[in-house]
Amino acid sequence: MPADRSPGMDHSHYGYSPLPDRDPLAWPGGQPLALGALILLEHYEWEPPPDAYSLRNPSGGLIKLPAPDYVHLTHREYGHRVGIFRLLDTLERHNVPVTVAVDQLTAMHYPWLIDHLQARECELVGHGIAASRLITSKMTEESEAEMIDESLDFLEKASGQRPQGWFSPEGVESSQTPALLAAAGVRYVCDWPNDEQPYKMTTPAGDLVSLPLFLEIDDEFALWRRRASLNSWEKMIVSAANRLHADGQMSARHMMLTLRPWLTGQPFRIRVLDRALAEITKLQDIWTARGGDIVEAFAAFSAGN
Amino acid sequence: MPLPPHRVDYLPMADRPSISWPNEAKVALWIAPNVEHYEYLPPRDPTRNPWPRSPHPDVQGYAHRDYGNRVGFWRMLDVLDQYDVKCTASTNLAVFDHYPDIGKAMVDRGWEIMSHGIYNTRYLSSLTEKEERDFYLECVETLRRHTGQQLRGMLGPAVSNTIRTPDLMADAGLTYHADWLHDDQPIPIQVDNGRLVSVPYSIELNDVPVFLHHHDTADFVEMAKAQFDTLYEEGASSGRVMALALHPYLMGMPHRIEGLEEILEYLLGHDLVWQATASEIADHFMEHHYEEFVQHSKTINTVQNAR
Repeated sequence: MPADRSPGMDHSHYGYSPLPDRDPLAWPGGQPLALGALILLEHYEWEPPPDAYSLRNPSGGLIKLPAPDYVHLTHREYGHRVGIFRLLDTLERHNVPVTVAVDQLTAMHYPWLIDHLQARECELVGHGIAASRLITSKMTEESEAEMIDESLDFLEKASGQRPQGWFSPEGVESSQTPALLAAAGVRYVCDWPNDEQPYKMTTPAGDLVSLPLFLEIDDEFALWRRRASLNSWEKMIVSAANRLHADGQMSARHMMLTLRPWLTGQPFRIRVLDRALAEITKLQDIWTARGGDIVEAFAAFSAGN
Repeated sequence: MPLPPHRVDYLPMADRPSISWPNEAKVALWIAPNVEHYEYLPPRDPTRNPWPRSPHPDVQGYAHRDYGNRVGFWRMLDVLDQYDVKCTASTNLAVFDHYPDIGKAMVDRGWEIMSHGIYNTRYLSSLTEKEERDFYLECVETLRRHTGQQLRGMLGPAVSNTIRTPDLMADAGLTYHADWLHDDQPIPIQVDNGRLVSVPYSIELNDVPVFLHHHDTADFVEMAKAQFDTLYEEGASSGRVMALALHPYLMGMPHRIEGLEEILEYLLGHDLVWQATASEIADHFMEHHYEEFVQHSKTINTVQNAR
């Protein structure tokens, strides 16, 4: 629906809230900056169902090739087989606890990996069914609700824990998605990269917390879509962390790195992540946390105000 | 990958048998110049237009690549000779017919010729099973006729494939398929008859995507060194494969060639590098590790079946 030019947002998911007007946010330990990492385990199918919707130009591979596009599919598969372990090892070395968005086909076909992530104390968040089956406004509300419920139920069954968080496949939502996520019992959503602090979303089915990711330093956005050089990406991450750490002295911030194992997990890229993390974890008083920890702290702070 | 068509079992890098290369090498390095011919007026293919920039011919696009065969190849060859590199040339096999000088230069140096199809403008994607079988026979026959070599592997022409490709390659007596970018080690690919393995190629450490975007020679050199450093470190516990994918029309340019020298100087300056051909890598894996990889995949996947 086109906007009606009245004050505030042109949708009802959340209200406008300029950061300088907010009560100063404080993390439980008083740190100015919470640092986290969201790893995406996304599955692309050889043959998605005929009515499924994919991005026109999904990242990875070379150019869009006629099916079967071995290059694209196997480039992505590299993440599940090889790249994921480089990311986990690197983040672990810098004491950054890990949040992983796991889609249903990954949970279904890589049970070894699910066990491994749990043994390494990763928080798992819902990520739909597959990257080749996006949630979009082309689907009915019923089928979207079914997709959300089914993928959450499956991840719960595979891991023994109900996911608290959600990141839509390829970050694509319909206008119903926040309400359907709240109805499915999701506590927080990572689809809206519009802030440096978590904030509350309201839906007819209850409240949600929005935990914004940092789109400009998202590996795919920077390295694939913008084709930034690795040195430039490294500088972006470090200077963003420095500035957020400084600005966070007045009102605390969070910074979630979005990382794809098929991309940053490549041998020549992993070293850059390692260098950037070595640099930013030198900052005094950084709180390294999982998505759910940050949301929990935000909820406790909000309840106390 | 686990989803249909079921070609590869999941085998996480964190839990698999260790690979040992000859002479305790940490990295098996194969260097793959893509020696190509793009046709001036290619046959129409309903699935893909090789020259989308203008109605055919695209003289500019054609000539850019033709430069590789006239000039770039020879400049690259000098550098490859200087470092005594035994290449695996990813070759559009019609190059042997069009440019016998290039064919002879490769054969004289004992390079392995890997099929990259007949022309880079003729794709596998829409071939019938019969047509694709005939295609492999033609590739095998063309290579034998010009060089006496037995064809061992393929990178699909312009990385095109069909769902049947691995089965038909194995039926035609090929050993390895380079279109799988899923791993840093060779991996068994399930086929109807016989055995086939993937040998890791790269579309990242590859001059085409790097230079078609706005990266320059220094970026490529840095990437290659970083790729090598990581694999060399990891290779201490289990051997890794590194592929360096090159195109004479790009890397053979005067403003890039020094980058190739710098890369080779760095990579080959390390002791525990096995500079091999793709078929040597595939053969070593087949002989020493294929069976244990297959067995271990079964163990990993019992977790799956238990659910």
